[in-house]
Amino acid sequence: MMLEGKTALVTGGRGGIGRAIVARFLREGARVYAADLTPEGSLTVHNDDGSIFVKLDVTQEADAIAAMEQVGAEVGQLDILVNAAGIEIEKTIEQTTLEEWNLSFAVNVTGTFLTSKHALPLLRKGAASGASASIINFGSYDGFIADPGLAAYCATKGAVHALTRAMACDHGPEGIRVNAICPGYVDTPMLQSFFTGDGSGGGGKTIDQLQQAVRDVHPMRTYGTPDDIANLVNWLASDEARYASGQLWVLDGGLSAQVQQMKL
Amino acid sequence: MRLTGKRALVTGGRQGIGRGIVEAFCSEGATVTTCGRGARPDGLADDIIWYPLDVTDPDAVKALAATTNGTDILVNNAGVQVEKAVPDSSDADWDAVIGTNCRGVFNMCRAYIPRMDEGASIINIGSISGQFADPSMALYNASKAFVHGLTRSIAVDHGPKIRCNAICPGWIETGMLDAAFELANDPDAARRDAIARHATRRFGKPEDIASIAVWLASNEASFATGQLFTVDGGMTAASPLNPGLF
Repeated sequence: MMLEGKTALVTGGRGGIGRAIVARFLREGARVYAADLTPEGSLTVHNDDGSIFVKLDVTQEADAIAAMEQVGAEVGQLDILVNAAGIEIEKTIEQTTLEEWNLSFAVNVTGTFLTSKHALPLLRKGAASGASASIINFGSYDGFIADPGLAAYCATKGAVHALTRAMACDHGPEGIRVNAICPGYVDTPMLQSFFTGDGSGGGGKTIDQLQQAVRDVHPMRTYGTPDDIANLVNWLASDEARYASGQLWVLDGGLSAQVQQMKL
Repeated sequence: MRLTGKRALVTGGRQGIGRGIVEAFCSEGATVTTCGRGARPDGLADDIIWYPLDVTDPDAVKALAATTNGTDILVNNAGVQVEKAVPDSSDADWDAVIGTNCRGVFNMCRAYIPRMDEGASIINIGSISGQFADPSMALYNASKAFVHGLTRSIAVDHGPKIRCNAICPGWIETGMLDAAFELANDPDAARRDAIARHATRRFGKPEDIASIAVWLASNEASFATGQLFTVDGGMTAASPLNPGLF
């Protein structure tokens, strides 16, 4: 077990990728707080998995403070923070309202800022206990290259990448490592919504045909699963990654290693 | 005219991107020498000097360099492409691609750097394929990554006297691109699909690459060195996965 004795908090912990991370952390022996808007998160049901639910709207500073007070009171320190809460608006900048733009930044960027800010005192205590503490942010391959019709999302993820490096510089000397995972296409409710939403561009294909076409564009001929993401999050959270900090970890089945796949 | 009084050498100036750079440099007032394997190409303006040169031959490169009394701009454009994955690539393929794209650039830089004056500019033609992989172009992709690494090394080792940058073209309308489309099952559909993947909704032209080469060669770029300048109509800014095109 790679995380025995560690305490972790995962925002978006009841969502698509968040649940897989929570489940993996639990299997690795960690005490896990799953922070989300509701116990079900972005899915419809939740079976008790042994994680401790914390109500957290990442856009609300009072929620972040309260969540960390709870962890502080119950454990006294935090070893791992995963900022997995995120939203995606499928629009160009012209279609995006100011409210949607602000919401995108509030959740994806301000949320990462607020949760990390108020977790730092507990993470310092985690680092002081010997091993390094680890913050894992959620960037995206969309922070490097653009998907059409995802302007605000792409911009927020670029911001998360820069924030990750800044946090790594500032808090590395305190024993706190900061990295970002940059997933490509991962099978989550967010991806399924992309398939059915405006982002797919129509084209007269069924969702099955669209999914297959997306798989075919990947060198690995599949898109990822939440477990694929949890595998790398688990490593970055563990002491095996004690020298890894300030980096953006792309996990996309090789999608962004290639240029456009022309139909020749 | 932005290159008046400058002496430029462009390798591989017979056709395509190299020819476009040669003509642009001429119209900006430079004295231009170009070279390639074989005889002087048809239609090359009389004031452009042509040398038959195989850049893979270090002795021939040294001999040509010995005849010059100084060069202000060196453009390493000569390159070859072999469309194969690793297991299919022969030793001859290795020699051809690495010989021209890597050793050729090295040969030229080694021979000309000592002959370049303060303020000189080396411009290497890299590729988007050196940053992201084109399928079944293994040696070509790797050779262009070499060019990118060498570009940074020369910039670091020979600044402030010499600047060195690379241009990374995307899909440029050349004979090479036409040949690729001819191989498609439906060349017209393939062309439409490829164009739709460019934010500019067109392929590049040799003059698109020549225009950034002129800027990099000019004194306007006197603070630009060690960098890769991608000119690809926005293609690599977009994800290779574009569901709108399925």
